[in-house]
Amino acid sequence: MTGDILRIMVLVLQLAFVAGLYLVLLRFAGSLLRDLRSAEQTQLASRSGIGRLSVLESPEDEPPAGSTIALGPINSIGRNVNNTIFVEDDFVSTNHAMLTFRGRSWYVEDQGSTNGTYVNGHRIDRPVALSFGDELTVGRVRMRLDR
Amino acid sequence: MRITWRGVEFRLLLPILLLVPLGFVITNIALTNAFEPGPLHLALGYVALIVGAHLILVGFGHRGDQLILPAVGAMGGIGLIMLNRLPQDLAGTAAFGFELGMAATQLLWFGVGTVVMLVIAIGLRDDGILRHYKYTWAAVGIGLLAATLILGYEVNGARLWIDLGPVSVQPGEVLKIVLVIFLASYLAETRTLLTDARMRIGFLAIPPLPYFLPMLVLFGAVMLIAVALNDLGTALLFFGTFLTMLFVATGRRSYVLIGLVLFVAGAFVAYQLFGHVQLRVEVWLDPFADPLGAGFQPVRAIYAFGRGGIFGEGLGQGLVTLGGGLTIPYVHTDFIFTAVAEELGLLGAFALLGFSAVLVFRGLRIAALARDDFGGLLAVGLTASLGLQTLIIIAGNTKLIPLTGITLPFVSYGGSSVLASFMMIGLLLSISHRSAIGADTEAAK
Repeated sequence: MTGDILRIMVLVLQLAFVAGLYLVLLRFAGSLLRDLRSAEQTQLASRSGIGRLSVLESPEDEPPAGSTIALGPINSIGRNVNNTIFVEDDFVSTNHAMLTFRGRSWYVEDQGSTNGTYVNGHRIDRPVALSFGDELTVGRVRMRLDR
Repeated sequence: MRITWRGVEFRLLLPILLLVPLGFVITNIALTNAFEPGPLHLALGYVALIVGAHLILVGFGHRGDQLILPAVGAMGGIGLIMLNRLPQDLAGTAAFGFELGMAATQLLWFGVGTVVMLVIAIGLRDDGILRHYKYTWAAVGIGLLAATLILGYEVNGARLWIDLGPVSVQPGEVLKIVLVIFLASYLAETRTLLTDARMRIGFLAIPPLPYFLPMLVLFGAVMLIAVALNDLGTALLFFGTFLTMLFVATGRRSYVLIGLVLFVAGAFVAYQLFGHVQLRVEVWLDPFADPLGAGFQPVRAIYAFGRGGIFGEGLGQGLVTLGGGLTIPYVHTDFIFTAVAEELGLLGAFALLGFSAVLVFRGLRIAALARDDFGGLLAVGLTASLGLQTLIIIAGNTKLIPLTGITLPFVSYGGSSVLASFMMIGLLLSISHRSAIGADTEAAK
């Protein structure tokens, strides 16, 4: 008799245990859905485009250090104010480098500048493909390509 | 450093932390046939450990993903309940003057793993050390393999273990992580070059060899040694992770196709060359041909799944020992999923798969939100590795594919496996922490 009661107790507890597991899974599903919805909204709010440059270091503060520059498909970098990305730095040439988005990736090409263009600390002598997270240096200005 | 209330994480952890002691109580009642909760120190120790990890993340203002720790906590909890239920003399340690049973040893490893996870998640502020020293990592990987080849000793025909005084370790578990770090770093750098495939054979685009070769050489070496060590499960896991990362980095289906063709060819060669591979395949095709010999383990596993049915036999009520021996040999490592399915049934097994799916989903989300290619590829690699490992061993248990002995992450008994899995979670948390911080500084402008 007590054995039967014990068996029923165990069965009830067991069912509670499995039900508890599914309750947890349900909560997980709820959190996942909420996250997906909020992610959708933030994405709608900021259509970020193909990429941007984060300015890491800029002694003359033009562009200001810590700012981000939204990029179009073709961007010229240089000390001439007509460049898409105007850089105020004595070590930067008038028309210094070209940053272009072709196909699926970013490329940077030096435009015959005096002090050169550097990718992750290496001077480039031909068009170089950039990955997101790579560092681009012109003159004393250091920038990072971000999504 | 500001405190971040990780509310989502807390609310998800709460029911899990109630369920683990409940599982211990059910097991004790069923085993002793008396209405007593029995010893709960291991369950409470586990609860304290996970709550402690949560509080430390809160205290350090960690902004990483909040669903990962609860998913891991649930899997580890189910694992601990099962290990506590099995005979405690299956494994254990006698180190530091203490005599610890299997579940207690596992809890000890959970503790070590959690500390390592927290150190990586909080301490790794910059991924520079991972990213810039890729050839150092490759060397570390090769060193680990060489150490296993020279110093390793065999358990069940696979030479995976190194004896380090009080503990034995499986370097292959750490190698998994090192390999993912190397591949992420290498692919992040050469990704664009690998995508520009100019060479073609028919409709297949061939990757440019100069950029592809270093990776291929290292990878071939790893695969060869893994096969030489007779560790087929790990070899399959490495290969699957590699292909996933390559596909994510380049977006080229042809590379995956080439990889799969190579895999089939390699598997065929291995089948022809090695007797143990042939044996595995034969046992898989027809375990009942030799039910008391080679087919013993799979046949017993199939019966266990059958006994479990949909609702399970109940915790503590499964058939663990039979005629003085274990019903299923290696039930605490390779066949832990079978034990879960026997005692918690199809429902419990599905719940376990659900937690694993949550982990994979969140891992890929972390990859998608990563700030740079390296972080994204690293997250993809770690997630693929954890997910594939789960798939390979569960498929082996259920006789969907030939059985290869690897562990079920967070559930199986085993210090090296637990430690490596927690390291991977630590890395995932640190990647997602950095993307959350980055998104904030941007929103502030």
